[in-house]
Amino acid sequence: MTTTVSSLPPNIREETAYGRYVLNGFRYGFLFIVTFIMLAPVLLAFLGAIRTSSEFQARPFDIPRRGIQWHNFTEILEDSNFWLMFKNSLYITIGATVLTVLVSSLLGYIFARVEFRGRGLLFNVVTLGLLFPFVIAILPIFIQIRKLGLLNSYWGVILPLVAFSIPGSTLILRGFFRAIPYELEEAAYIDGCTVFGFFYRILLPMARPAVTAIAVLQAIAAWNDYFLALLILTDESKWTLPLGLMQFQGQYGTTNWSGIMAYVTILMIPAILFYMVTERYIVTGLTGGELKG
Amino acid sequence: MAKVIYDHVYKRWGDVVAVRDLNIEIDDNEFLVFVGPSGCGKSTSLRMLAGLEEVSEGRIIIGDRVVNNVAPKDRDIAMVFQSYALYPHMTVYDNMAFALRLRKTPKQVIDQKVREAAKSLGIEQLLDRRPRQLSGGQRQRVAVGRAIVRDPAVFLMDEPLSNLDAKLRVEARTFISKLHQRLQTTFIYVTHDQVEAMTMGTRIAVLNAGMLQQVDTPTNLYMHPANQFVAGFIGSPSMNFFDAALIEDGDQLLVDIGIAQLPVPSDRVERYRPHVGQKVTFGLRPENIHYHAYQPADIIGAPVEAEVDIIELMGNEKVVYLKRDNVEYIARVDPRSDVHVGLSTQTVFDLSNMHLFDAKTGQTL
Repeated sequence: MTTTVSSLPPNIREETAYGRYVLNGFRYGFLFIVTFIMLAPVLLAFLGAIRTSSEFQARPFDIPRRGIQWHNFTEILEDSNFWLMFKNSLYITIGATVLTVLVSSLLGYIFARVEFRGRGLLFNVVTLGLLFPFVIAILPIFIQIRKLGLLNSYWGVILPLVAFSIPGSTLILRGFFRAIPYELEEAAYIDGCTVFGFFYRILLPMARPAVTAIAVLQAIAAWNDYFLALLILTDESKWTLPLGLMQFQGQYGTTNWSGIMAYVTILMIPAILFYMVTERYIVTGLTGGELKG
Repeated sequence: MAKVIYDHVYKRWGDVVAVRDLNIEIDDNEFLVFVGPSGCGKSTSLRMLAGLEEVSEGRIIIGDRVVNNVAPKDRDIAMVFQSYALYPHMTVYDNMAFALRLRKTPKQVIDQKVREAAKSLGIEQLLDRRPRQLSGGQRQRVAVGRAIVRDPAVFLMDEPLSNLDAKLRVEARTFISKLHQRLQTTFIYVTHDQVEAMTMGTRIAVLNAGMLQQVDTPTNLYMHPANQFVAGFIGSPSMNFFDAALIEDGDQLLVDIGIAQLPVPSDRVERYRPHVGQKVTFGLRPENIHYHAYQPADIIGAPVEAEVDIIELMGNEKVVYLKRDNVEYIARVDPRSDVHVGLSTQTVFDLSNMHLFDAKTGQTL
């Protein structure tokens, strides 16, 4: 026998969804405003790059009314200096990214899974680095780089970039590595892995979102770095694109706004593309680790 | 195929002794089950054999080699973990092939072995899937498959059925037993579930508090437990225990359990006579306590009257919880038995299956 509803109680109340609509309206409104604030500079650069300088100065946010000014881009892209600086930027970005991933993943592994006396203390020392932006340490960095004879070399930029990203990267990777069950490690040892084999055959592939996140963040930071390059790279042939932009701006001052904006736009494209392709890894990479533990 | 010997093995964590003087010889092709309550040292014993824990003292021998200082990968063992420990970023195929690849086995051989094992386990159609796309039962088979392809000398299994639901667990039990028959390899299996131990093991090692209590066949363990712990641990519901005293009554011996005086069967009188006057524990399994109207003909019965507390109808039997004067016991009686909660009923103790233990040491008398 199954029972069925014979009769409903007489005074059933049902709430309207009115309150929810209002709340959703606020939510979307708020998100829209924040998104606009974030995107406004990007949009501004782009709108400046595809119009003439006078158009841009008259109305910063406006559509192109005299046709799209492609020559703003081509003039920059046809300059051989630009490609030299592009190459320099690429070297530094790749060098800093590879080294950061290598060092912080090994460090993260050690702090997550190797037991030794003083591990907690050492880890605290490493993460202490999070407290210091390198602007504070700029003078000691300069002196150290000079002592090492690395002024005017790619390594002079790469090494400080790596050093200052290690605390954050290690923290993220350690969280991921800790969340990986010990039974997996034991299974790997029985299957024939060495300690290092377990690290690169099991742990690293499993932590791919975190590793990708770190790599992307570091790549973008290195690509965009201006201050360190300015400090270390005095020889113009070693300059990176952000320095090129500075030079370009110095050359044209306020007369060629659209050229500057085109330069900025070109500079932003790789970082934005890179981020868009790897975005889903970055989000899981930065939030997934500790939650799983 | 290999013999395994635990030779006076100890495991200590600081002051805590997790395994104490473990001494077992496990024969070739044997299916030995380590069983005991949690914290008894059974997993630690297995993990020492696998090389995942160091041996504090003593020797572990696999085949003709002391393996104390041999890395896990070189011990010629394979292990199935409770959580299966499948590599989540690899397909089923890659999981099964992983160990062979690390050993630089030729590709064709790997492929052949993996496919053969997958076929025998009925997981061929899953080879391209990732572990997270599998059900618990399928994962368990993959974990077993990963162990099989290596042709290990010894199979280790650490509670491999604990994460399965009740129905799958029963299926997996027979599946593992059949696997053992087919592979003809030494199996060492850890569980806290005495039903798993009884149904699968050719021999069972019962551990408690780091000490080996008894190693024997399932039947012997059940019929002739070495001590009160083993008697209570093996069997469900567990054996009834009564504080008792042995008293002499002419040529006869009586066990006084407070609510009744039970005559010791004549073939055991001489064995128990030296313990007269001593405090003892009387043990009787629930299935050896019958409802008076449905008692088997061939038992040495003694009537005991008690009040029914709870009745659990299992279909093929009734499990009856009885009580009298602060003495409680459980009986598994014929389902037709006319018992009612709150009413006094007459049970019959089958004394041919009685057990007596030293009340102090717990040892069987």
